[in-house]
Amino acid sequence: MITTKNITKHFGSFQALKDVSFEISKGEIVGFLGQNGAGKTTLMRILTSYLPASSGTVMIDGDDIAKNPLTIRQKIGYLPETPPLYTNMTVKDYLKFAAEIKDVPSNQRLRQLDKVLEECQLEGVKNKTISILSKGYKQRVGIAQAIIHEPKLLILDEPTSGLDPIQNLQVRKLIKNLKDQRTVILSTHILSEIEQIAQRVLIIKSGQIIVDESLDVLLKTSDADQSRELTLEEVFVKYHSEQSEERHE
Amino acid sequence: MNKIFFIAKKELLTYFKSPIAYIILIIAIAIFNIFFFMIVDQNREASLKDVFQVMEFMFVFLAPLLTMGVFSEEKSTGTMEFLMTAPLTNTAIVLGKYLGVLFFFSIMLSMTFVYYGIIEYFGTPDRLTTLTGYLGVWLEGAFFLAIGVMTSSWTRSQIVSAMTSYVILFLIYFSISFTKYFSGSAEIIIRQISTWSHLENFAVGIITIGDLVYYLNGIFICIVLTRLSIENRLWR
Repeated sequence: MITTKNITKHFGSFQALKDVSFEISKGEIVGFLGQNGAGKTTLMRILTSYLPASSGTVMIDGDDIAKNPLTIRQKIGYLPETPPLYTNMTVKDYLKFAAEIKDVPSNQRLRQLDKVLEECQLEGVKNKTISILSKGYKQRVGIAQAIIHEPKLLILDEPTSGLDPIQNLQVRKLIKNLKDQRTVILSTHILSEIEQIAQRVLIIKSGQIIVDESLDVLLKTSDADQSRELTLEEVFVKYHSEQSEERHE
Repeated sequence: MNKIFFIAKKELLTYFKSPIAYIILIIAIAIFNIFFFMIVDQNREASLKDVFQVMEFMFVFLAPLLTMGVFSEEKSTGTMEFLMTAPLTNTAIVLGKYLGVLFFFSIMLSMTFVYYGIIEYFGTPDRLTTLTGYLGVWLEGAFFLAIGVMTSSWTRSQIVSAMTSYVILFLIYFSISFTKYFSGSAEIIIRQISTWSHLENFAVGIITIGDLVYYLNGIFICIVLTRLSIENRLWR
């Protein structure tokens, strides 16, 4: 589904990504982990063709992102870190607009609209102006916008930030339900969440991928000197402290 | 192609969902009405020639207010990321947004058609001159809006966008006042840059290729520059 080769990204003299290569196959749920500023969002923006990579190639579903950005964008649903909402529109108008510009055929637009309203539990607020909605609702409108055109690949940048525990659970359920039909990439700071939904984890540190492992293997191999299974949090802390120790030496 | 209209429709919807659109409409129409009355009252002739001049002058102030948010607001709220990751070409985004603004402006202008009705009822105005006059006003407005859309694509701040377009509009609108300080080809260039020299003909019923080219080229250049600045990723 996704193949990236040696992606680097510079912002001026700052190198945000260094030689990032990975492959994600169809139907996988992959979690991007990393501290703030590690390069998760930059990587996602490159995958969505919002930012061009300084060098390296990204192939999505057989298309090169630099050559066919438009066909690739049809296949991607993207939720940026702050949901991109036109706050003076109503939920329905906004989602209708999203369906229109994302190539949903006109005879299916209403059906898709009803479907995402139901999936994201937005029916009750569909005629409300977005600006008056609570953060949780806004986040879900953002997710609805990302899945309205039934993309093959879903890229979610911190989809559960700002949600209460119940909404959190609902969003996780939603993502899990989606996985049969599509590939999902998500980033989050909440590690327990990744443990519950992701099958595979990429840990990014200072623009480099330091771990690319399926979750089961990662949790098992890390407990060589301990009898119990580690939590992802322990693994995450371990990788980040190891590296800084190495640097001190 | 369809998507250009979807974006234009959304842009128009955004205008009418915000109070600014109504405030601008009401204030502009109120001012036009006052001047229409004053001009007709003073000139005692069935012609909109002087009314057009007032409108053109007002557009210098109105166009930046209408366009300051077109791109800068999308950038500051992050919705630009939404547009740029949707299957849209940059050209479609720019054209869609421009058409939306242009349509709003056309609605505003069409509200002044009533003036023609009034002078037609009480006098015998020259229909053709009124028509070409409207074409001139519309072209000038369209050009000013294109400039506003362009400056809006340069920045995240609506204030900066409005100020920049005020500077550009003042320069091209009032540059004719400076012609007396220049001579030779410099004078001709400055005279040609000013919208003043291109408006006069329309108001008296003459359409020249030169004037049309001036406005259409101006609009075209602004749209191309807007597209370039959208493509330029520096601001992201």
